[in-house]
Amino acid sequence: MSVPVTCTAASKTYPGGLTAVSPVNISLAPGATTALVGPSGCGKSTLLRMIAGLEEPSTGTITIDGLPPSEISRRGDLSIAFQDPSLLPWRSVRKNIELALDLARRPKVTQDIDELIQLVGLDGFADTKPAELSGGMRQRAAIARALATKPALLLLDEPFGAVDELTRQQLAEDLPAIWEAGDTTTLLVTHSVSEAVMLSDRILVLSPRPATIAADIKIDLPRPRRSEFARLPEFSAHVDEVFAFLSQGVPGSRAKAAQ
Amino acid sequence: MSTGASIATPGGTGWQPRVAAMGPVLLVIGWELAARLLTDAHVLAAPSAILLYLYENAGLMSRALGVTLTNAAVGFVLGNTAAIALAALVAIWPASERTVRGFALLIFCLPLVATGPILRVIFGPGPWPQIVLAALAVYYTTFVPLLVGLRALPSNWLDLVSSYGRGRLAALVHVRARAAIPYLVAGLQISAPAAFLGAMVGEFTGAERGMGVLTIRAMRGMNVEMTWALALVATAVSVGWYVAIGAVAKRFLEDEPPVILAAPNSETSGGGWRRTVVQLVFVSLMVLIAWWGFLKVLGLNPFFAKGPLDVIQAVTTASDAATNRDTLLTALAETSVYLVPGYIAGLTVGAMLAMLVVMVPMIAGTALPVAIALRSVPIITTAPLIVLLLGRGAAGTIVLVAVMVFFPTFVACLHGLKQAPGRITDVFDVFAAGPLQKLVRIRIPAMLPALFAAAKINVPASVLAVTVVEWLATGNGLGSVMALSASLSDYDMLWSAVALVAILSVLGYGAVGLLERRVLGIYAPEQLK
Ligand SMILES: Nc1ncnc2c1ncn2[C@@H]1O[C@H](COP(=O)(O)OP(=O)(O)OP(=O)(O)O)[C@@H](O)[C@H]1O
Ligand SMILES: [Mg+2]
Repeated sequence: MSVPVTCTAASKTYPGGLTAVSPVNISLAPGATTALVGPSGCGKSTLLRMIAGLEEPSTGTITIDGLPPSEISRRGDLSIAFQDPSLLPWRSVRKNIELALDLARRPKVTQDIDELIQLVGLDGFADTKPAELSGGMRQRAAIARALATKPALLLLDEPFGAVDELTRQQLAEDLPAIWEAGDTTTLLVTHSVSEAVMLSDRILVLSPRPATIAADIKIDLPRPRRSEFARLPEFSAHVDEVFAFLSQGVPGSRAKAAQ
Repeated sequence: MSTGASIATPGGTGWQPRVAAMGPVLLVIGWELAARLLTDAHVLAAPSAILLYLYENAGLMSRALGVTLTNAAVGFVLGNTAAIALAALVAIWPASERTVRGFALLIFCLPLVATGPILRVIFGPGPWPQIVLAALAVYYTTFVPLLVGLRALPSNWLDLVSSYGRGRLAALVHVRARAAIPYLVAGLQISAPAAFLGAMVGEFTGAERGMGVLTIRAMRGMNVEMTWALALVATAVSVGWYVAIGAVAKRFLEDEPPVILAAPNSETSGGGWRRTVVQLVFVSLMVLIAWWGFLKVLGLNPFFAKGPLDVIQAVTTASDAATNRDTLLTALAETSVYLVPGYIAGLTVGAMLAMLVVMVPMIAGTALPVAIALRSVPIITTAPLIVLLLGRGAAGTIVLVAVMVFFPTFVACLHGLKQAPGRITDVFDVFAAGPLQKLVRIRIPAMLPALFAAAKINVPASVLAVTVVEWLATGNGLGSVMALSASLSDYDMLWSAVALVAILSVLGYGAVGLLERRVLGIYAPEQLK
């Protein structure tokens, strides 16, 4: 099952008076993978949290499958992986994953959990506590937790932030299979433009704060994607296009440095 | 302790640990000598005499200890269960917080010395008054850290729960409860000696068996060995209980229990003066209704169960209202003369000593654990000793109040002083600032919140101390009015005294809170969130 997401003139102004997101209109097709890229502090996490129903939009509305986000949450059909892994320190990797299943009121199938742990490359660490994992391993555990409930809408906030380049590529190649198989609508925030191109059907480039949509780029590379795609000329063209939009309104040096 | 000292001086000459081990030995020898020199004074019992007494009266003492310990343990379980339930209620239903906290504070401010006799007439001669007093003595010191603990977690953990569409109950069950356990342990540790103390105070009020009964007997009979033996046993049991909880927790928890005494800032706080006043009035009304309802529901005999109206009449329109008012005010004045200096002295000495200790790094390392452990000493049970040592006059009472206030203050301040952010002290090190400058610029502002937290919680604690001494020994002030009206069955007076003390304690607590906001607003605004 997959769900469409619609943001209609949704904006966010925090109580302090800081506007993180200007009114935006976004509609995400069911089952599509969309990447959000934008400069640090522009309001990406805020947008993600609004879609997850964790922040009320200050204006406008957000619906998922025609319903408010809280309804989708209540069905256990939504998962969010936060920017920091937010694992419960007293629970092992497996128990953290089971927590999501418990909260979403889904059955705990040991075999599924084992497979998931293996998929994110944590086999052998199922019974390890987060404190004994590296930063990247924690992030992978958090991704596994988000995937465990086979959500209809998956929100990932910089899921590969603390992962080394090789593992990152590996994950970028392996993980999409999971959410594509489940026909999941996915929205992911990333700072890596090439990762955004590699993973998504569509890239939304956000302007500096308050976020507006600076560009909406369709990525029509075939699926499944493989790491060799990075050498295709279409791929580089997309990367360049995203960078061009990113550098608008941002001091030029920064965009270059990012390259 | 000796290992701590040896770690502190790697490659040292090794004399420090030996001194540390010698300390207690010298203390006992000195004590023995002093006691032998002062035999005629009837104040100090020599360690050998105490041991001999314990040996000869092992049966009596162990029976009494068994009774008191049982009552304390039942009260401990009940009081802590209530604390956990209250904290859970606040976590599930945050709107109830102000009311629940107001009630909890007020009940904590009830003077145990007067609640005891009232419970005695309600429950009769059995163990229940002791048990209820033990429960009353413990629940608040667990409730407060638990409130902190239930909130001391990253907001993402709670967001995770909401992202699966689950509410506060699920957050409590799956996340908050476990996150609060170290705080629960801290609360349970402090409540161990409090439970023992509550049970003993309960036994003062006419129980048939127990350590409290023996204490009264020892005091009446001027039996110095017995008084000392009882105080020592009470202390040893409380410390043991405290240490045992810590040891059990250590086996199951990776994280150390936190040292917290402060009530958290209310999540629903703010809204200015008007709202505070409205809430105050609301909570007061609720209390009056609860008081009245409690008596009605239990169907208690109006002869001894006085409601709010009876109390108001007793000091306003009753025929003896003027005498009643006089008695209460005179007693209040007498009590304040002991209470205020003792309270201030305890706070001052506690804070000063903490400052001195952090300026001497060599002892700073071991001082905190020792001081934390000393919190487990049930000061009140040593009241008879202080009366023996310093007499029934003002000095004894003031010292007892000061000692009661001193320990929590010292621990809180020491802890606060150690919290001074490391980075900032490093910056000061770079500029070669002396320890004094560091103290004034960084450490004292960091200590203030802890000092105020201690000052607040010590308001009811010092009232308890002063009323106990007045009741047991000095024979004046509110404590003695309560004892007297209990024995004369003057229940109007007893309930009025309870109400007066509770109201004044709550007001005192509130006044310290206001002062805290003022002072922190000036010296450490960042602590006021
Ligand atoms: N709870 C909050 N209260 C007030 N301001 C906030 C809050 N959360 C975020 N902000 C502000 O909103 C702005 C956008 O924050 P957000 O976390 O959405 O940025 P981001 O695009 O995710 O940045 P990054 O890439 O660094 O993670 C920032 O200026 C931040 O300071
Ligand atoms: Mg972010």
